[in-house]
Amino acid sequence: MVDLTKLREMAKEVISREDVRELIGYRPGTYGFRVRPAFVTGPDDADDLVFTPACVNNLASYIVLEEKLPVKRGEEPDLRKVAVMVKGCDSRALLQQMEEKAYPRERILVLGIPCTGVVDMAKVQARFPDVLEVGEIALEGEKLVLSAGGTKEEVPKEELLADKCTRCRYPTPLVYDELLDAEVERFADDDYADVAEMEKRSAADKWAYWEEKFNRCIRCYSCRNVCPMCYCEDCVLLRLQPQWMRRSVDLSENTAYHISRAYHLAGRCIQCGECQRVCPVDIPLMELNRKFSKDVLELYDYEPGTDVENPPLLSTFKVEDREDFIM
Amino acid sequence: MAVKKLSKEKLGEALGELSKFRLIAPAKSDDVVVFKQIGDAGEAFLGYGNSTVPPKKFAFPQTETLFRFVVGNPELNEKNVEEEGTTVIFGLRPCDARAMAIVDKLFSWDFEDPYYLKRRELTTLVGMACVEPPSVNCFCASVGGNPFGTEGLDMLLTDMGDYYLVQELTDKGKKLAETLSAQLEDAAADDEKKAEQMALDAKGKIRRSIDTAGIPEKLPDLWENELWKKVSAACLGCGICTYLCPTCHCFDIQDEVEEMGEGRRCRMWDSCMFGEYTVHASGHNPRPTRKERTRNRINHKYSYYPEHFEVIACVGCGRCINLCPVNIDILDILDQVVDAS
Repeated sequence: MVDLTKLREMAKEVISREDVRELIGYRPGTYGFRVRPAFVTGPDDADDLVFTPACVNNLASYIVLEEKLPVKRGEEPDLRKVAVMVKGCDSRALLQQMEEKAYPRERILVLGIPCTGVVDMAKVQARFPDVLEVGEIALEGEKLVLSAGGTKEEVPKEELLADKCTRCRYPTPLVYDELLDAEVERFADDDYADVAEMEKRSAADKWAYWEEKFNRCIRCYSCRNVCPMCYCEDCVLLRLQPQWMRRSVDLSENTAYHISRAYHLAGRCIQCGECQRVCPVDIPLMELNRKFSKDVLELYDYEPGTDVENPPLLSTFKVEDREDFIM
Repeated sequence: MAVKKLSKEKLGEALGELSKFRLIAPAKSDDVVVFKQIGDAGEAFLGYGNSTVPPKKFAFPQTETLFRFVVGNPELNEKNVEEEGTTVIFGLRPCDARAMAIVDKLFSWDFEDPYYLKRRELTTLVGMACVEPPSVNCFCASVGGNPFGTEGLDMLLTDMGDYYLVQELTDKGKKLAETLSAQLEDAAADDEKKAEQMALDAKGKIRRSIDTAGIPEKLPDLWENELWKKVSAACLGCGICTYLCPTCHCFDIQDEVEEMGEGRRCRMWDSCMFGEYTVHASGHNPRPTRKERTRNRINHKYSYYPEHFEVIACVGCGRCINLCPVNIDILDILDQVVDAS
């Protein structure tokens, strides 16, 4: 577990540096076991920072979500660093963004948090639907301890842990300037058994499965907006002349949207699972993304967001690249 | 208007009777509760808190074709809403029905929207009272609503255990009761009293609240206040809060090509949280960042709407709080509005 005093001390030190403009971390939410992203601009704001297994958000998204307004005449652009707290999985987003040259490395200051797992907030909500008071979640050994309003409950961690954590190979961030605690040993492995299971199903069966899901998509674009890898300034969805994708919400266009997004993430998705977490109508988007991840790993032995020196998969060509699946 | 009862054993039969109309009811899509057209009574799922997506799309479709056209042919193939037929929305919550009553004011204001109004005319709303608040973030009582509220409804059902108490509220509701005359029975004399007590209890169980007094008047003065930057900092700019809001009603109109030389003009939901919302043809955007967009969302509900229609355009269903991926909480924002100076 992260020592909060240490975390806040470090945050205060970092935000006091002259070359740091803002620090992005977590603070308690407004109700229940939620936390929310915190945007710290001065040492005093650092006092309510937390890190707990409820810190599900991938804050790397905010680095590319930042709105760049035109600089007013006579003013200089603010080029100071943004400091960002990342878990192991989140750090892969930063690496992938940098592999793609989304911004220079010097623009960010990475506060790495060795992570022992975060919860699936939907599972927590289902188990404790009536908690209104701001509560806390802590990991104690193999148990998650949830406390709110004077009551305390212990739950075996596997009951509430996010799926991605049960197969996490990178609990310690792969990139950081400061590491908040000792490294965490890899505690799980990923055999893509879920994808293999899906691959066994017939095309008709798979289509029936996805038809149900895509039919209820409301195209709120939360999956796109939360994605740390979805940062094109000119998104294909916004093009009206020609209109690449219709705005109409129906099965056909919803399917086109989700398949396009999955393709755009092939070889880029770092599996933070944010798209699936935020979907208000529970579309299991990671099942699509993980299929591509498995293919990319098997075909090209490539894993996005693991090595900043690695060029992005789809921007490279090697003579020995496999092509037997094309013809 | 009369008060009747419907035994739970006869619910299936009653829904079967109603399915001669276009019957919309809560149903499960995997584990997600959505309102959809149901063919047989078994599809309806009444063990729900509230639906994830409000039933507003059955009055205001997410995508609606206004007319179709063929290149070279001046004739337009216009939409006829009447073809959709008489619709019954069964089992919606009082907050969602009240939302429709609020949105009606907009669509019949300076321009009478023929599509929306025709559809509303053809639709009968059968509500299901909230004996328990569906979520911790319900706050209907703070914004003029009530877990047993009848505004906007034609008929209200209350779960009394073995049966539903059925209150006819309008002529449409009375007509619907006539359709169900074989299933409805007379209610016991003290049922209405019992329901009144249940309504009081239900109101007492609502956990969250806000005192809205003075907020609509105060908001215009807070235009440049620093609070907007703070409350929008975490916003992702997605459409969850607005698309799941039963009162949000912004739309965009676009032409879409269907086949070569054929197309349609349609309107679809839009969201003030999107970057391209109200971008001018020049490229200028009066709401360039999420700060202005969040400010617009709150002002539209709590300032502009009360100014024009004397009602807050928020019914306290709590969906925007429950489903915001980054815990932006409208009650937290309103608290900051109250505290701001």
